[in-house]
Amino acid sequence: MNEFKILGEFFFSQLLGKPIYDKSGQKIGKIRDMAVCWDGSYPQIVGIKYARHTQELIAIEQIESCSYQEVRLREKFQREQTVSLEESHIYISKWLLDKQIIDLKGSKIVRVNDITLSWVTQMDHQRMILVAVDIGVRGLFRRLGLEFLFNSYKNNLLGWQYIKPLESWNSNLQLNHEKQQLSELHPADMADLIEDMDYKRRADFIDNLDDQQAIDALAEMDLESQVEIIEQMDEQRASDILEEMAPDEAADILVELTAEKSEGLLKLMEDDDAEEMRELMQYEEGTAGSLMTTEFIAFSARLTTEEVINQLRKLAPEAETIYYLYVIDQEEHLLGVLSLRELIVASPSAVLQDLMHTKLLTVKPKDDDQRVAEVINKYGLLAVPVVDEENVILGIVTVDDILDILIPERGKFDAYSWFALSKRGGRGR
Amino acid sequence: MTTIKKSLSTRFGFFFAVMGPGVVTAFADNDAGGIATYAAAGAKYGYGLLFTVLISSICLAIAQEISARTGAVTGRGLSDLIRELFGVKWTFFAMTVLLIANIGTTASEFSGIATSFEIFGISKYISVPIMAFLVWWLVLKGNYSRIEKVFFMLCATFLSYIVSGLIINPPWGEVVLASVTPTFSGEGEFLMMAIGVIGTTITPWGQFYIQAAIVDKGITAKDYRYTFWDVMLGAFFTWLIAFFIIVATAATLHANHISIETVKDAAMALEPLAGKYASILFSFGLLGASMLAAFILPLSTAYAVCEAFGFESGVSKTSKEAPVFFSIYTALILLGAGIALWPGLSLYKVMLASQVVNGVLLPPILIFMVLIASNGLIMGKYANTTWYNIVSWTFTIVLIFLTLLLLLSAIAPSVLDFFIGR
Repeated sequence: MNEFKILGEFFFSQLLGKPIYDKSGQKIGKIRDMAVCWDGSYPQIVGIKYARHTQELIAIEQIESCSYQEVRLREKFQREQTVSLEESHIYISKWLLDKQIIDLKGSKIVRVNDITLSWVTQMDHQRMILVAVDIGVRGLFRRLGLEFLFNSYKNNLLGWQYIKPLESWNSNLQLNHEKQQLSELHPADMADLIEDMDYKRRADFIDNLDDQQAIDALAEMDLESQVEIIEQMDEQRASDILEEMAPDEAADILVELTAEKSEGLLKLMEDDDAEEMRELMQYEEGTAGSLMTTEFIAFSARLTTEEVINQLRKLAPEAETIYYLYVIDQEEHLLGVLSLRELIVASPSAVLQDLMHTKLLTVKPKDDDQRVAEVINKYGLLAVPVVDEENVILGIVTVDDILDILIPERGKFDAYSWFALSKRGGRGR
Repeated sequence: MTTIKKSLSTRFGFFFAVMGPGVVTAFADNDAGGIATYAAAGAKYGYGLLFTVLISSICLAIAQEISARTGAVTGRGLSDLIRELFGVKWTFFAMTVLLIANIGTTASEFSGIATSFEIFGISKYISVPIMAFLVWWLVLKGNYSRIEKVFFMLCATFLSYIVSGLIINPPWGEVVLASVTPTFSGEGEFLMMAIGVIGTTITPWGQFYIQAAIVDKGITAKDYRYTFWDVMLGAFFTWLIAFFIIVATAATLHANHISIETVKDAAMALEPLAGKYASILFSFGLLGASMLAAFILPLSTAYAVCEAFGFESGVSKTSKEAPVFFSIYTALILLGAGIALWPGLSLYKVMLASQVVNGVLLPPILIFMVLIASNGLIMGKYANTTWYNIVSWTFTIVLIFLTLLLLLSAIAPSVLDFFIGR
């Protein structure tokens, strides 16, 4: 009873420009565009734009038959029966066809070559539904009138559930399920998407992410893109985001900005965060000092395992890594280190002093990144502490910070190229 | 290692301050075909084409400004915008135009490479395949951006034409007068030379490239005023070099009734400066310019086409992930090198002909550009003003007219004679 019956399936590109006749056989106009309402459970066509300079549409209910040759109306055409375009409706030729959209299934940006529509009837009620967009080569050649060359190819259709149009439509079109699907993307995929967008869309897109999503995505980008995005962002938001990022990465970004801009952002931060950034910003690029984070976990040597585990629960969310626990004295001299595993298997009453290793591998803040990479690589560490001349611990460099040096990303132009167009191809996968 | 990198980047820092995409494009524009065309123009018509060079440089400034502004305001490439505004069919047309023009230009770059090696007695059958492979490999697998500096420095040797021109000390009064006096002839060869000069100064690929470079470097409408001057400076450089090549070749070759048979003859104009080392100096410059353009031309073409049709692109992708991108890139290099290697084909003619092809194919691209830049929906308050549109349309129409004249002179010389009343 509730069943759909399909009356016809159409490629939108093949309907465009086809004549519209009313019951009396009079030609009303041509199919110039169609308006779709994206609000309901699925996108439905609400009306057909039939003439150039009008926002009045022929309501879809008026249509008696539809084919690739012509469209016929049920009654005699009367202007009073047209419907007007509402705010939540969009034109699909103007805003969707040929445009870039986010393919939420493959999490990449694709171009719409065609749109498929389905003409269905349900309990004597006829509707036209936007079923999918065509992002394949066959769709492209259909537009050129050369589809026959690609008849053996399958159409590469992407269901409407999986698309997110990029154009800045009304915000009420940002449906909840889209937001949810976006939040389910891996931050690295999201980063790729954002890097592929032009700067206006980027700004729109990032405005719609919450802070945590923005931070996660930003952390996955290369420095050049990070800097660009922070530069274009609203100052207050930029400083909030930088504060929440790993301090070493935030400091790297701040160093790349103009002095004026970075000073402005630092002023908006909380005092101790700003202080920490300023310290990190002093180190030259490519040294252990610039790579290190100051968010490591250190304890006094006199604590017992049980006390440490309790404290760890509180500290863990902030720290970059909890797999190594550093042991320090009152003046923050580095005394020893132990791993999380060693901590957990030890008896609850054991004191750190007795558990820690005192033979330490450390680097100095001025050591270059190659040396840091060598130490981490050779000894198979997850992190290495950075200490000054007096053996006071300043921070740690974790393995993910030097991964780029150990395994360079494929085919990447470095930032000094004048001629090559790098960005769109810039990221590794 | 790190320290070397650092000092290199600071040393180049100065260039960065001066060189934006506008100046960079200008340097890439004075490629093998450009040098050949200017030299031929100077040798054959003396100072006669200086006026054409001036006008086409002004038009270059306008065209590049339009592309740069569109890039900065929209953050999108030219092919992207053509696709979104004009649909698949027009995009297909524009990309076909771009591909044909760029196959020609790539062939002329490889001809330039072949010529620069021939000066040292190395056959083109050895140099071209090796350099073609090198270009292909360095961009996709190697470290292209390091080697780029070397070729860029080599390019700078073309500045020696300025020195040479000054040493020759031509009759400056006559030169200045020729630069501002409109000279025209309906003769097929003159037309071809004039279109060649325009086609080498303003290229379809240059328009796509500068817009992509602006987008790539993240320049936005906010920073556009710097870019404006950068573009103007670039156009000025293009004019300066073209001007002195013509002056130098006119004063040395044309004055002595020596016509250019091969590009190597263009080196003779450097003799006042470098004496017997002139041809070595020339070959270095030619190699630098040709290699630079051979690197970026196929790459920027592949980007433009993929952007328009929504194919995956990027040098960091594998050929499986981005098959179309890699096919176009590779095919352009193969075709370009293949044409340059064609037995019996004069390298010099390839260079000249490709510039004429560029000139003929330029108007359609210009039309797209001007239409986009005057579209208020896209450009907002940065859209073309009325007088700007008048200038751009006039230039486009003049170029179309010249192209038609050229075609006419090739098909039916007598009809043409009738029209211009000879």
